Amino acid sequence: MAIVEAKNLSRVYGSGDMAVTALDAVSLSVEAGEFVAVMGPSGCGKSTLLNLIGGLDTPSSGSVMIDGRDIAGMNDTELTALRRQRIGFVFQFFNLIPVLSSVENVALPLVLDGKKADEANAAASDWLKRIGLGDRLKNRPDQLSGGQQQRVAVARALVSEPALILADEPTGNLDSRSSDEIAALLKQVSGEWGRAILMVTHDPRIAAHADRIVFMRDGRVVDDAKISGAESARAAMEKVGLL
Amino acid sequence: MNVQLTLAIRYLKGRKLRTALTTLAIVFGVMLLFGLNGILPAMLQSLQSSMVAATGQTDLVVTSKSTGQFDASVAATVAGVDGVAAATPMLRVPVALQPKKYPVGTISLIGVDPDSAVSVRPYPVTSGRFLTADDLAADRVWTGSGRNPSVTLPDSTAKSLGLGVGDTLEIPSAFGVTKLEVVGTLDILTVPGNDEAYVSLPAAQAMLDTGNRISEVDAAIKAGSDRPTVTAAAQKAVGDAYLTGGVEANSSLFASLKLGSFIINMFGVFAIVMAGFIILNTFRTVVAERRHDIGMLRAIGASQRTIFGMFLTESLVQGVLGTAIGIVVGYGLSSAALSGLSSIYSDLLHLSVGKPVFLPSTWILAIGMGVGVTVLSALIPARAAARITPLEAMRPQMGDVYEKVVTRRAWIGAAIIAAAVAGLVSRNTSVVGFSSVVFLVGLALVTPALVKPVTDAFGRAIDLAFRQEGALARANLQRNAGRAAVTASAMMVSVAVVIALLGTFTSVFDGFISYIDKAMGADFLVIPSNMLLSTGTVGANDALLREVKATEGVGDVATLRVGRAAMGTTSLQVIGIDPVAYQKVASFEFSDGSSQVDLAKLGTDSTIMVNGIFAAQNGLAKGEKLKLETPAGTKTYTIAAVGSDYLNAKLATAYVSQSELERDFGVTADVVIMANAKSGADKAASLASLKSTLKDFPQFALYDTKEWRDLQVKTFQQVYGAMYFMLFVLAVPSLLALLNTLAIGVLARTREIGMLRAIGSTRKQVRRMVIAESLLLASLGTVLGMLAGVWLGYSMVDAMNTVGFKMPYYFPYNGLAIALVIGMTFGVVAALIPARQATKLDIVAALHYE
Repeated sequence: MAIVEAKNLSRVYGSGDMAVTALDAVSLSVEAGEFVAVMGPSGCGKSTLLNLIGGLDTPSSGSVMIDGRDIAGMNDTELTALRRQRIGFVFQFFNLIPVLSSVENVALPLVLDGKKADEANAAASDWLKRIGLGDRLKNRPDQLSGGQQQRVAVARALVSEPALILADEPTGNLDSRSSDEIAALLKQVSGEWGRAILMVTHDPRIAAHADRIVFMRDGRVVDDAKISGAESARAAMEKVGLL
Repeated sequence: MNVQLTLAIRYLKGRKLRTALTTLAIVFGVMLLFGLNGILPAMLQSLQSSMVAATGQTDLVVTSKSTGQFDASVAATVAGVDGVAAATPMLRVPVALQPKKYPVGTISLIGVDPDSAVSVRPYPVTSGRFLTADDLAADRVWTGSGRNPSVTLPDSTAKSLGLGVGDTLEIPSAFGVTKLEVVGTLDILTVPGNDEAYVSLPAAQAMLDTGNRISEVDAAIKAGSDRPTVTAAAQKAVGDAYLTGGVEANSSLFASLKLGSFIINMFGVFAIVMAGFIILNTFRTVVAERRHDIGMLRAIGASQRTIFGMFLTESLVQGVLGTAIGIVVGYGLSSAALSGLSSIYSDLLHLSVGKPVFLPSTWILAIGMGVGVTVLSALIPARAAARITPLEAMRPQMGDVYEKVVTRRAWIGAAIIAAAVAGLVSRNTSVVGFSSVVFLVGLALVTPALVKPVTDAFGRAIDLAFRQEGALARANLQRNAGRAAVTASAMMVSVAVVIALLGTFTSVFDGFISYIDKAMGADFLVIPSNMLLSTGTVGANDALLREVKATEGVGDVATLRVGRAAMGTTSLQVIGIDPVAYQKVASFEFSDGSSQVDLAKLGTDSTIMVNGIFAAQNGLAKGEKLKLETPAGTKTYTIAAVGSDYLNAKLATAYVSQSELERDFGVTADVVIMANAKSGADKAASLASLKSTLKDFPQFALYDTKEWRDLQVKTFQQVYGAMYFMLFVLAVPSLLALLNTLAIGVLARTREIGMLRAIGSTRKQVRRMVIAESLLLASLGTVLGMLAGVWLGYSMVDAMNTVGFKMPYYFPYNGLAIALVIGMTFGVVAALIPARQATKLDIVAALHYE
């Protein structure tokens, strides 16, 4: 079943002579448990695509279905609820709340959804343990390494049991070792825990962990290749001239 | 715990310094509002309890509406009322004791009729005896010498004076110090600090030179009679000139204290509004700082309402915290102020004050304003935060498109200023007061449009000291004119209020001093030591005047006498002068086209002169008729002139000739004596002789006019000192506002500062850039505030002139200089923390900061 179903998605900023087309009739679908990487040069529309699918931005034309629901007609409240319940976000700069502990940060989506604090904290602790941060439950972000902070962010994205995880350059701010760990974790998230993942990245090594790579240029999808390991990823990238 | 509350508390804890500074602003406002409001009710309560103590055991009390004295025959009228069991005349006057002789400053001298007094309330004796008919008979023929009249003292008074039966009590009187023999002590409840001495009515009347006048009639109601019915009957019997039921003495004091309470509230409200400015600025800073957090929260599913609630909760926590601390500190302030004021209060009002009293309305006001203003001030930033879309929040911040908003607001501001100016020139005090606030609001709206021109103008001066960094600092301010304007407005309002008040105070004080120089022509002054003519002053009979006149080297002499009257519900003092003698030693400040020629008409056909404030408050003019309640009944006077003297410029006062004062008020005692030295006389010798003459009159102080002027100047300087401190404290919130704005400026430009450092700016240059920016901002606020303050001050003084406070406007040069120095100092001080923040930035981290 397709978790994400984007059809002829376009996004134009400005108008008249100043109009800039960031995304041009992109269609894309992501199945449950599928790990899809989006690659392309800077300004090709990767992040715009992610923002439109995440309901953070509104398309100029086209439609997006998330988990079977069309988000085009949703108002802010409905979009907010959708993000809270069905989508998890992982950002480049972690974006954890600096004054909250790991467990509190992870519990946040559940608390925002009206769950009791005890219940939310229990679920958050459980996820933190599953991703190997059981000994860092009470630490605040400034007491964690970059890799650990991004793990907390992944746990936060997972805690509300979403259908889809959107990750925007999740390793962009990490060293190579931490990047590999996060990539492996995301692979586990899709493979083991069955979440659909759409990840924007510049890093070929990280993209190689995905099941599929979507290549973009000038707001369009130029290739969509299924891969299985580093070799096939490399071949796919060479094909579109990224390597 | 609710997520919003958790986040609020964590964020507040996470930014301890900012939280402390912002909370301090709330603490400060609440402290003023709560603390100062605890003082006046304590004073009022002690005043009321002294009255209750005086009348508490009495069923019915009749006093004059004019709060003055009246004929003793009223007691017989009250005694004849149906339902009244007994009535007794009383004369109650506070008297200052000789300071070195007794540990008590003042005492209430109470004249009673021993026979009828005991029928109205009990006077239980604890030692010796109470006053008797024999005392009454002997005192009736007593003329101030030959024997010592009897006095009885409540136990508490006897204890505080250290006297017992057989001892002598010395009390200043109209004919010098009178010795009284203590014949008994009484088990009567008195308010602590309100000491009493009971003598026979004739003795008191002789000592106070009041003729056959009394100050109240106390009555007992027959058992089984209905108190309201009897009270109404008594009121009907005595007529409209009297009040029945409670002591109304000092009602003018109540009015003064209430006015004081209003002024204090205005101070507190101003401080809280300033706190509001700071909170607004702080939360704008906080919203900018947490843009990414807000974006992330929105992305992971926080609704707009959640974000809005998060900021409001944070403000609520801060408001509650600041208000709670403010209340605690305010209590301390109240207690400290009351203990500091207690000696003055006891000297002037003859009462002691206890602990601060906080009325429910004070609690409501302090909590309502403290929490309310904090939450209200956070509303706009909270709304702005809630409206940030996740996408906006995740992107690097863009420059604000502010131009159009600035222009529109500036036009609205200009229109408001124009309307305010119309109000400011109206010369009506209430309209001027309201217009002042409107004027400042208008100016605050115009300020963003002034940021560029004013900072450009000051930029040149700043460039002299900050050649390399000045231009950058100026550009930084100009590109976020809105934020700069909010800070400059906060500072402007502070400085404007400070300068306006300084201008007004300078004019009032300098006006008085110049008036002393102009009008107090006398060489010697004999005035009550407490400076209040009609409260707690024992006058002197004509023997003292004769002695003063006979003193070697003394030339022309004039005196003031004082009675009390009422016009409707307004109480006023009526001063008796000899118009001819007065003008030889002093002069009046005339208004309403009056002159000395008009003054000379006093004494003929019930003519009267009223002072400026009384005329203005009651809409009176020269030539009009004035109906007053006097001890001799309702009298109609013709206003011959409008004019004020120095001593009474601040109080509602009328002047009549001394002969008419005697006729209508029965007053013949002098309370002020002014004398000139003969030309060529040895002034020092005359002063020494006068000093010797006055040694039996401790209620008076003798000054040569120069010495007295110096004393007045010194007093004003002390007041100035306290006022400068108060105004400085009022300016502190603007320092916090400045600090906040600079902090957000540094934060918003983190990446830019990183870039500057990367391309070779030294830490010192970055620090100097922040300081230059702060100085520019401070200059903007200070200069606008100075201009607004001078104009507002001028309007206030002009308006006060129209209500009778005749004074020229004195330009507050000192105030302006001080404001400029403080403004610039604040500029540097406020920059210290943000500058340190900027110089300590890690270059790589700063370059990656979004």
